[in-house]
Amino acid sequence: MRRYFGRKILIYGLTFILAATIDWMIPRFMPGDPIANVMARIGAVVNPAAAQAMRDYYTHIFGLDLPMWQQYVNFWNSLLHGDLGISIYLFPTPVTTVLMRAVPYDLFLLIPSILLSWYAGNKFGAFAARSKWLDNTVSPIGYILTATPYMWLGILLAWLFGIVLGWFPIAGAYGFNLRPHLSWTFIWDVLHHWFLPFMSLFLVGFGGQAIGMRNMIIYELEADYSHYLEALGAPRRLVRKYAFRNAMLPQITGLALSLGVVVAGALVTEVVFSYPGIGYLLLAAIQNQDYFLIQGCFLFIIIGVLVANFIIDVTYVIIDPRTRRGMTGETA
Amino acid sequence: MKRVLSTTVALLVVLTMVLTACGPTPTPEKITVRETVTVKETVTVKETVTVKETVTVKETVQVPVVVTAVPEKPTEVVYPRNETIYVSGAAWGPASTWNPFQPGSLANTTGTIGFVYEFLFAFDPQTGKVTPWLAESGKWTNATTYDVILRKGLTWSDGKPLTAADVKFTFELSQKNAALWFSPLWTYLTGVTAADETHLTFTFKDPLYQEWDNYLYNLPIVPKHLWESKTAEETNSGANEKPVGSGAYLYDTRGEDRNVWVRNENWWGIAVFGKPAPKRIVDIRFSSNNVALGAVIKGDIDLSNNFLPGVATLAKAGYVKTYFADAPFMLSANTAVLFLNTTKKPMDDAKFRRALAFAIDVPSIVNIAYAQLVKAASPTGLLPSLSRFDDAAVLAKLGYSFDTAKAKQMLAAAGYKDTNGDKFVEAPDGSAFALEVTCPFGWSDWMAAIDIIASSAQAAGINIKAVTPDYGAWNTALQGGTFDMTLNNWASMSNTPWTLYNLLFRHPIQEQMQSGNFGRYNNKAVFDLVDALAKVPTTDEAGMKAACAKIQEAMLTDMPMIPLWYNGLWAQFSESAWTNWPTEKSTSPTLPTTWSGYWQLGGLMTLINLKPVQ
Amino acid sequence: MTKQKKKNEFLYFALRNKKLRVALSVVLFFLVLAFVGPVLAHNAPFAYVNPMGAEPPSAKYWFGTTFFGQDVFAQFVHGLRATFLVGALAGGLGTLIGILVGFTAGYRGGIVDEILNVLTNIVLVIPTLAVLLIIAAYLQVRSIPMECIFIGFTAWPWAARAIRAQTFSLRAREFVDLARLSGMKDRKLILTEIAPNMLSYLVMTFILQFGGAILNAATLDFIGLGPTNAVSLGLMMQYSVLWGALQLGSWWWFIPPGLAIMAIVGALYVMNVGLDEVFNPKLREM
Repeated sequence: MRRYFGRKILIYGLTFILAATIDWMIPRFMPGDPIANVMARIGAVVNPAAAQAMRDYYTHIFGLDLPMWQQYVNFWNSLLHGDLGISIYLFPTPVTTVLMRAVPYDLFLLIPSILLSWYAGNKFGAFAARSKWLDNTVSPIGYILTATPYMWLGILLAWLFGIVLGWFPIAGAYGFNLRPHLSWTFIWDVLHHWFLPFMSLFLVGFGGQAIGMRNMIIYELEADYSHYLEALGAPRRLVRKYAFRNAMLPQITGLALSLGVVVAGALVTEVVFSYPGIGYLLLAAIQNQDYFLIQGCFLFIIIGVLVANFIIDVTYVIIDPRTRRGMTGETA
Repeated sequence: MKRVLSTTVALLVVLTMVLTACGPTPTPEKITVRETVTVKETVTVKETVTVKETVTVKETVQVPVVVTAVPEKPTEVVYPRNETIYVSGAAWGPASTWNPFQPGSLANTTGTIGFVYEFLFAFDPQTGKVTPWLAESGKWTNATTYDVILRKGLTWSDGKPLTAADVKFTFELSQKNAALWFSPLWTYLTGVTAADETHLTFTFKDPLYQEWDNYLYNLPIVPKHLWESKTAEETNSGANEKPVGSGAYLYDTRGEDRNVWVRNENWWGIAVFGKPAPKRIVDIRFSSNNVALGAVIKGDIDLSNNFLPGVATLAKAGYVKTYFADAPFMLSANTAVLFLNTTKKPMDDAKFRRALAFAIDVPSIVNIAYAQLVKAASPTGLLPSLSRFDDAAVLAKLGYSFDTAKAKQMLAAAGYKDTNGDKFVEAPDGSAFALEVTCPFGWSDWMAAIDIIASSAQAAGINIKAVTPDYGAWNTALQGGTFDMTLNNWASMSNTPWTLYNLLFRHPIQEQMQSGNFGRYNNKAVFDLVDALAKVPTTDEAGMKAACAKIQEAMLTDMPMIPLWYNGLWAQFSESAWTNWPTEKSTSPTLPTTWSGYWQLGGLMTLINLKPVQ
Repeated sequence: MTKQKKKNEFLYFALRNKKLRVALSVVLFFLVLAFVGPVLAHNAPFAYVNPMGAEPPSAKYWFGTTFFGQDVFAQFVHGLRATFLVGALAGGLGTLIGILVGFTAGYRGGIVDEILNVLTNIVLVIPTLAVLLIIAAYLQVRSIPMECIFIGFTAWPWAARAIRAQTFSLRAREFVDLARLSGMKDRKLILTEIAPNMLSYLVMTFILQFGGAILNAATLDFIGLGPTNAVSLGLMMQYSVLWGALQLGSWWWFIPPGLAIMAIVGALYVMNVGLDEVFNPKLREM
């Protein structure tokens, strides 16, 4: 077991270093000149002398006047101190501050929707595998939901429930007439704004999970051991219980995968519902060629991804005895 | 196992929601309500949560008093509808800086310049008058001296008085810091002296009269007592959080997608101009224009300065009101000019450029792309408010309009023929060319416009394709001079035609052209003409007209850039909460806009004139 | 069972499987529309044919016109073509890479399997959207082939995983051991023994990749990473949203593309399940 995990940790460590290096490289080799960009936002810089002085000044602030290798070393140095640099697009806010302000919104939106859609989807998928009648009603819904282009669904929801019926707001994380404070009005308002984006994410996730679970259970129900148990006279419920457990394994992997990607934000949701978050920031950062913000977002994502991967491995060891046996040398 | 799993999941969900709700934002605030009530028969105190003291204040007559204490900012957590105005269309990202000399102030924290910081003068583009604001009067006492008398009783929001020393300090800031945008002023400004608290004298050497007027209403005045201790770094690029200015509004709070300003109850201007009606301004940033459109339809916004497609339909259906009741619905804010990169073939050929001007289908841009929300521009590029400087004779001789046949004729006459049968003309030397007209991706109205430019040019035989790179790449190409042809609309409302020609014919040509002449048109004669215009006193209209006529003749003969249409001052407003918006029918209409750089052009006056719906 | 009999058996069950019949007909319908439509539609997708601007569906314009007076039906059928093309190419590329990686990993096992596994996991978990945003910022030109490559290179992990698992289980079967014992070369073994048994699986994987690619392409187009100067269903949705189609009442510009994608991809997924039942006797409903 220790060797297994030791090897895993080594691989993850190497992957992290490699990924972080790529992350550091990618923005720097992007087309365009971010300093020119910053200067452009100043507007009228008539004085050539002033232009040059400003250019030198900003280049120095961002450390772009140092040789590449030194920039790389500085990158790791600041990374270990939690400093991801200063954003260009949102100059002079530090990248860490920008990200920290935006991440809670993503977490608030994505974690409940992923968890709930996973749970509800699996429940319904298991239902559907129970009887043909249920299968014929639940499955089509599942297929339709999972085949729907997400932004199309989101926009329709926003239009129907937000504009036509007017039941929900269509922009912002909380009302524009509110200042964040602890009160029922505020909490209710936040939930009110949260509901449509959450619903859109939930519906699409639900469909996929339901279908996946249904297929897995049907496979398991047709496996040899199921027939064996049935032949022995075991009640349907017992057979289904075992089938369910086996079917859950890949579903849990899937859940861990989805959770790991949470920090990437839900770009389309944020654009469609004008909800603040990292996705929108990343898009804006790219459009404005903001080296450091892109780098920071991506690093966040990489870390989340690696952590998720690791959790998958750990979970699999815990819940799937075959993996444990594999570790002691037996073949799968 | 299943039950454990399901309870765990449920707990996780709840835990997540609770945890993230208790995250860095939002922070809970203790609610203390201090009520200001008028003394009448009964004193009604509304819901008090934690009340330290109930203060009863009588309505007093306005007496100019130097307030020495910082006014307490109201801390409501729910904004009453009849005291708040919701606007959008100015901010496009989260706020990052409140430094009035910093670019970010313009883009994201609109309001810092104009709400918090003010100017010596204001300018009304509709009448063309430069009116005193912080200053009481200003005039040229002789050809090289300009005298300014400040108003009395001006104060900063922290209570200290605003005096000539602050103005002198502000101007001298750029003498010390060449990096500030207004440092070129010191190439012809020789000194500023403050005779006393309200008298200032500016001495010049070879003054650029036209540009000076621009500074008068564009340079924000900052408090000396707070800025003199700032380092060069802080002045140039500090964020200047908690800005202290002399203006009508104070910074209240902000979020990822909104900036909130609260009225300065001690503003010196209340006695002079009136009290701005909305107590709070919530400036909203939507993720895209169509979400803004949805919000407008829902009635969530009072004033939207976004470009909204189909506004003509909405206005006619009564959803929104616009400045004009009919086409073009919007005031003209700036000129959209097609810059041609004169360093590249075949755009280095003036005859080609002129032919192109006749090939572009501007009527379609106006009618189809913009659905009549804009007007076609005068070939001189000057906005309607400056149309008196259009030289009729030059226009008659050299003006252009959409005429494909004529364009083809001109191309042929200049030696451009289709020699290889691909339906596109080749250069006189036989080489084929394929050009790209660009605009940033996502600027939907411009994207539609360049589509039309490309297709109408193709109809005349010129091989032009419409391409839409990302903003960053587009901007780099613009300033680096690597584009073929692209749009730019920085020539906005101004008191003088000089600003337009300064933009179009910016010189000297540098490696990075950041503020004009992106096509790098290098013509010393024209540059001299523009410089000559700059030196004409603003009172000498005849002189200005003569100078403009010469510039326009050169410009239309050579056609280094092609003015196409007037971009609108996009403004859609709703009368559900606020009325008395400026329209063409108003007696002295102001500008219904929240755009940065427009507060001193009438935006603030609009707020002062508003009335809440009872 | 001889090959001929097996094929007949598959065909028999395929035709009797209701899910397969319905789904296949839906996909075929749209496919035919994609081929025939552009010929039927007289107008070019981007031509400004209606000076009145946006108009609801009528006899003259079957799907109405856009804000600019363009024929929505013309855009729709041309977009269908692009969508199918991207789905096929990207799906094909993804399947191909998935086969290469998954099969190699499953067949070889050991260290090769480990490495490929790590690679698969990483590509699987990285949020493709974020990566594509960055890559797209590099490439100024965006065309349909580019988009196919993007999608293909990021969607293969699912296929690889499934194929690897399948290969594992097949490799352990007796007939493979027998073939090896009889001295058959590796390549011949793969081609004649393992591949035919996996064929059905590969077809299903391709169908899933096809559907996924269409959805992926629609999302990319919508965000603005799609091909410039082209028309696809995703791009139609993007333009209609940019120009406020729903808010201004022009639902006919926004709804058909999404509906079509939903129908096509849904049909593909159902087809997949149907094929599963056909190929896997255990799942057949008698």
